Amino acid sequence: MDIARGLVAIGAGIAVLTGTMTGIGQGYAAGKAVEAVGRNPEAESKIRSMLILGAAIAETAAIYGLLISFLLLFVFN
Amino acid sequence: MNQILEWLFAKPLQVEIISIWIITGVVIALVFAINNAIKKADVMAKPTGLVLIGVLIVQTFSTITKDNMGARHYKNYAPYVGALALYLFFSNISGLFGLAQPTANYSVTLTLALITFILIQRAVFMSNGFVKFFTRFFEPYPVFFVMNFFGAIAPLVSMSLRLFGNITGGTIIMMLFYSFTGYVAGFVPVIGQFDFIGPLIGPFLHAYFDLFVGFIQMFVFISLTTVFIGNEFPSEPETTN
Repeated sequence: MDIARGLVAIGAGIAVLTGTMTGIGQGYAAGKAVEAVGRNPEAESKIRSMLILGAAIAETAAIYGLLISFLLLFVFN
Repeated sequence: MNQILEWLFAKPLQVEIISIWIITGVVIALVFAINNAIKKADVMAKPTGLVLIGVLIVQTFSTITKDNMGARHYKNYAPYVGALALYLFFSNISGLFGLAQPTANYSVTLTLALITFILIQRAVFMSNGFVKFFTRFFEPYPVFFVMNFFGAIAPLVSMSLRLFGNITGGTIIMMLFYSFTGYVAGFVPVIGQFDFIGPLIGPFLHAYFDLFVGFIQMFVFISLTTVFIGNEFPSEPETTN
């Protein structure tokens, strides 16, 4: 049974790796938002709310991975 | 009376339900206090205190709703958005006060997302009519039915799971943090029984996971609600007033 627990833990670790790609995507979105604010600073508040919205939507994939790892850890252990 | 109490508490009560009662009571008390203050307030004077808070809340959520939904429809939805925002904000930060966060329970977030989902479908119905409500799944070709169908129910799943996942993740990270600091403090001989490392580092993590994430997720939830509902209405010409 110890091997099974270890495999579950490895699976949970792999599941949260979805966060890496989400990090890349959110960083790209933030960089583009900085560019947009630099280009026309008067639209800053609109850009900020759009950035938060876009970042939150991009975060969904990471959250799914996190939930799957929680399920693995707390249900199968 | 005793029988009613026994019937109420005989079933295992999920701990979130108690915090739902407390939070609902807090929101209702706040609303009644603001209402009372507004009734007593002088109309011509500058708003202060509770009246100012009420004015700011109404103004903020009216503006957010109007920006995302257009000037014609926002008045019907601004009260819902404001109530949702107050409830979600108090729920998300309730971890600071030692309550179990209701939004860390999937039933609560699914219910809130379901209300938004029904409002989205209602907006489709109102703007497209009865026939188009069903035929929109078969556009542009009938084979697109599966894609359109899952596209229609995707907001329900993604909105509820996003809120639930963020709050649950924060809760579990805080739980792991406190058990880890308790374990580390156990090595210190005399005062080791008391977890003295947790209260030192904990506040910063609480500020991030409860206040910041809670506020951001509340904002994202109401933004997505207004954007999804506003998308279903036909776009209107820009009016300047």
